[in-house]
Amino acid sequence: MAEIVLRSVCFDYSSAVPVFREPGITLALPQAAIALIGENGAGKTTLTKLLNGLLRPRTGSVVVAGTPVAERSVAQMAPVIGYAFQNPDDQLFERTVRDEVAFGPRVMGRPRETVQAAVDRALDLCGLAGQASTHPHDLVLAERKWVTIASALAADPPVVVLDEPTLGQDWAGRERLRALVRALGGQGRLVLVVTHDIDFVAQACDWTVVLTRGLVRYSGRTALAFADEGRMEEAGLELPAGTRLARALGADPAPVGDEAFAAWYRVRPA
Amino acid sequence: MTPVIAMAAARYRYPETDHDALGPVDLAIGPGEWVGVVGPTNAGKSTLCYVIIGLAPQFFGGRLRGEVSVFGSPTASQPVNERSRRAGLLFQNPFTQLSGARERVDEEVAFGPEAHGLPQAEVEERVAEALRLTGLQDLRARHPLDLSGGQLQRLALAALLAMRPELLLLDEPTSQLDPAGSRALFDVLRGLHAAGTTIVMVEHRLEAVAAMCPRVIALGEGRLLADGAPAEVFNRPEVQASAGIPAFARLAALVGKGPPLPVTFESAVEALRG
Amino acid sequence: MARGLSLYAEGSSPLHRAHPLTKATLTLCAIGLAFILPSWPLVLGVGVALLSLLAAAGVLRRFLFVAAGLLVPITLLLALVQSLANPHNQTVILPLGPLAVHREGLYIGLLAALRIADLVAATFLFSFTTRPADLAEALMQRGLSPRFGYVIQSALQIIPQSLETADRIRDAQRARGLETEGPLPRRARAFIPLLLPLVLSALVATQERAMALEVRGFGLKVGRLARYRIPDSLGQRVLRWGLALAVVAALAARLRGWL
Repeated sequence: MAEIVLRSVCFDYSSAVPVFREPGITLALPQAAIALIGENGAGKTTLTKLLNGLLRPRTGSVVVAGTPVAERSVAQMAPVIGYAFQNPDDQLFERTVRDEVAFGPRVMGRPRETVQAAVDRALDLCGLAGQASTHPHDLVLAERKWVTIASALAADPPVVVLDEPTLGQDWAGRERLRALVRALGGQGRLVLVVTHDIDFVAQACDWTVVLTRGLVRYSGRTALAFADEGRMEEAGLELPAGTRLARALGADPAPVGDEAFAAWYRVRPA
Repeated sequence: MTPVIAMAAARYRYPETDHDALGPVDLAIGPGEWVGVVGPTNAGKSTLCYVIIGLAPQFFGGRLRGEVSVFGSPTASQPVNERSRRAGLLFQNPFTQLSGARERVDEEVAFGPEAHGLPQAEVEERVAEALRLTGLQDLRARHPLDLSGGQLQRLALAALLAMRPELLLLDEPTSQLDPAGSRALFDVLRGLHAAGTTIVMVEHRLEAVAAMCPRVIALGEGRLLADGAPAEVFNRPEVQASAGIPAFARLAALVGKGPPLPVTFESAVEALRG
Repeated sequence: MARGLSLYAEGSSPLHRAHPLTKATLTLCAIGLAFILPSWPLVLGVGVALLSLLAAAGVLRRFLFVAAGLLVPITLLLALVQSLANPHNQTVILPLGPLAVHREGLYIGLLAALRIADLVAATFLFSFTTRPADLAEALMQRGLSPRFGYVIQSALQIIPQSLETADRIRDAQRARGLETEGPLPRRARAFIPLLLPLVLSALVATQERAMALEVRGFGLKVGRLARYRIPDSLGQRVLRWGLALAVVAALAARLRGWL
């Protein structure tokens, strides 16, 4: 069953600059680790904001985890879809990391014990267990971003949106993120990763959506997303490192992801 | 030749902390070098930039020991705005480095040259050049607040380039850019490098560092872990354990090639062909 | 996603082209006259003059739109409170049970509202037709220090910048489950999570901005050159002095009891 369904969604900020024009975006996404990629201005952030009602479509419908978004307020969507926005400083305000992460489930009115346990789990997943009592603003940017990711997970939503999570992350942070995204996808959640980090997509996401100037150019398995080089070029995207390398070594179709690369290399024709 | 940056046993500690955020560091960077700086979060990469430009300690307070000089003069002896005539720093956050006082992109770019008291004709020439280099000509009349994150980052760079620094410090310059934007930025940097600008670039994308910087320094817990050519630095186990491994090296390791691991696309193709 | 970021409305009317100091003088004098002149026909006269200027600048509709929301409630409130409770009230024009609407209070309330309307109109006339950068530039060309000029320019940008940040904060907190609409108690509870990030990020931004300004050479002692020429004219200079004299004359007349 598709977790996110968009039907003929048209949207514009003003009639002069349509983002999603007629006949609109139609898209069904499964429970998986999903990458949303495309050049700056392709409409990626706009698309994610339509999923919880921060933006309302001009026409068409959006259903997330069985919930028609049109019937809910943004706040009512929060238990269904968790967000980690790009800039942590737009939301951090509590005195400790723990309180910050607990904020979401608390305003949703969840019982104290449930919140406690969910917060502990989220802090663990995000490598923040040791910093639960730290003031969020005493952390560096990369760590503050993890606080927002933990906040998005603390309400245990079936759908999670991560907007450019790899930005500013060091190698270890990126590895942790990869493990997290894979784990969430494996738990039957839908985790939507908006990113420019194509290598991360190849390593962490099973499904990829390519957006170009407000149009869905591809939505399907990541393994096949990079087959069409023209499409990638049009979307202003690069190939993942392994795919690029294999292609240079003569692979066609070229493998996507580390395992696929290693498997291909082992049996490659001499 | 006098190094552009010379640090000897330099140590810096932020106020109200009990450990050195940087150092001791010994480092000499010569004119025209392009040096990549890698390392994990909290390794002292941004602090290194602040120490070189003089914000640490002049702005932050805290305590700087050892010697740090830029263009031959100790950073302690010269105000930061005075040093801006020859050295520039691109901060991580593109939004907060805007003046916050200008309503057009081109006026924002003119801020630095105007602060330097340049004649109007030269200010205009430099603004035009900086906008052209960063591809912002078409947005010159826009309000800075109407720009996207990637465009803001290009604007911040343009504002810096208009000051024509001989030394350019960049703290994660591609963090807001899409692949096309990153490629364009790197093209600009290649041009500046060819023209003799000294560049120090903090960057998490190790592939980019390996491909472009002839010299890499790796920081860990405020100290220099390694300093040398990318192929050498990224093959050090202590660097791999902290800063990580460039993608092509990771793939080569995965199929049992190396050590030494190839760190760039070209060398990986060659190594894996065999 | 272009959006109006300062009150300035692009235009080419004579008012738009006038020197910022002329407009500033005009605004201050109009406000001065509105509060000095004692009777309603004169205060109304100031208002009519301001409205014609707003119309000449092509921003009348914009003004009426903004002013309606601001001035209608103020007028009603002043008229109501004064007509019911002013100590000078004597003549009842409308009895309301234990209370009564009085002629004297109504007059005082409406006159006060009219003065506030003049003040608002004058302020908007200036903001709609003057680019903040031009004002700061004009002041700096008259010897204001660049540091102070920067303070003026950045202060004028703080509101649009904060609005932008406040929008993002509201989005982020609503996405975490915070209801920001609905009954008052609910909105009151949302206050802290909306306000604190704004304050904290403003503090962080101020620090980073101060650093960035240093790195961009701000505050160097250089002979500052005019960025661009702001046209002034003899006529405008005469007008400015004339307006100032008019206010002084009105004040003197008022104090002497001639008005």
